[in-house]
Amino acid sequence: MDLQALKKQEHQRRVKKGYMWALFCAVLWGLWYLPGTAVWVLNPFDEMYGEIAAGSGDGMALVIVAVLITAFNALTVILALMVWNGALGKFGEMKRTIKEFKPCSKWFFLASIFGGPIAILGSFMAMGFVGGAFAAVAALMYPVVGSILASKWYGEKISRRAFAGIGLIIAGGFTIFGGGVLTELGNGNVMWLGYLGGLMAATGWGIEGAIAGKGLDIAEPDVGLTLRFLGENIIWWIIIVPVLAIMGFPMFKYALLAFEPLTLLVLVFAGITFGFCYVTWYKSFPLIGVGRGQGIGNLYGLFAVIFIFLFFGDVPSWTILVGGALCLLGSTVMFSEDTSEMESLRGD
Amino acid sequence: MAANRPIKFRILELCSNGGGKWNYEIVQQIQKEYGLKGNYHRDSINFDIIELASGGMLKDVEVKVDEEGIYKKGFLLHKYVLTDFGKIRAADACLVYV
Repeated sequence: MDLQALKKQEHQRRVKKGYMWALFCAVLWGLWYLPGTAVWVLNPFDEMYGEIAAGSGDGMALVIVAVLITAFNALTVILALMVWNGALGKFGEMKRTIKEFKPCSKWFFLASIFGGPIAILGSFMAMGFVGGAFAAVAALMYPVVGSILASKWYGEKISRRAFAGIGLIIAGGFTIFGGGVLTELGNGNVMWLGYLGGLMAATGWGIEGAIAGKGLDIAEPDVGLTLRFLGENIIWWIIIVPVLAIMGFPMFKYALLAFEPLTLLVLVFAGITFGFCYVTWYKSFPLIGVGRGQGIGNLYGLFAVIFIFLFFGDVPSWTILVGGALCLLGSTVMFSEDTSEMESLRGD
Repeated sequence: MAANRPIKFRILELCSNGGGKWNYEIVQQIQKEYGLKGNYHRDSINFDIIELASGGMLKDVEVKVDEEGIYKKGFLLHKYVLTDFGKIRAADACLVYV
């Protein structure tokens, strides 16, 4: 075999690996919806919701409980990541990277602000004030924000074909959740907070990806991601949870009550799925770019519906089959792209 | 001194000398400097190089098949130089370079 053919083969292997990581991300993200949904009906969160709803209303109760659940989620994610980095022998590299704040680690801490409080909280606000389907659809828009930012800001190449694939996957997501959105738009109250939340989710995750891409240029993905979750833990546990406690919400009372076996088990399951979904997300970016990585990651909507069907027995309606077909079509458009265009992900 | 900085910084630094550097040379030097032994670390350092190239910071100027097994028999060896974009990112990262 000649050199050019070998080079092409090596290159195709790299792209395939990138897509594989992104696909794992979508599966794990979809899987995360199981513990992510179940945890709400477990104590102490169920009781906490009741107590806050009685005083401040349902929408507010949902957002405040979401803060505590998200904070615990971040905590179990960082535990999972510490085990992961330990197994890979990357603590040394982590120490070296964290010291390079200005050129490197500041990007990961910045990413944690957009991915943590802005995107996740926004998504819960959309859920609480409008509805779950609206929140899911709003979040699906994030690869558009991510790929446009990455291309304008640091010239990441995104082919027309990849963009078409992202568009199809988004259209598929809309079809999956679309019917629910129409019902929800008729029912909600304090809607503007929900719309704001939807906007926060779409822009937050998109911006997170683009910023992380900048840091990942010169850092190890596993290490960069751990720093990003270190940042998120600081934001929740050192800033937001104490501030809410000072404002009079019973944060610490319920945080201490979370240490019961079933709740912990579900939280750990959430931490593992969410943590590794992020590991694979960050690993895909350097190999196929932020736009493609996020586009394939968006298949989480489809996987979530499948897993919820398998585990909870919620039978999906026909719109989901149409949406799923669109998602598959969009992924095929991206997977089958000629990879020679992608030898370098940046334009000269 | 050198082993105090993240591995990708050091890779960029090593490739910044005019003529470029072969991937097996980079891997060997980094394994020695950072005290990272074994095939797992070898492959993981090589993967850092691949990520840098895919991100447009390094580009290969010469390729040959590893006939003798200097690195991995039958695989390709690449000689990398810093791209213009790589130079900018390397300068951001406060390398003594430029």
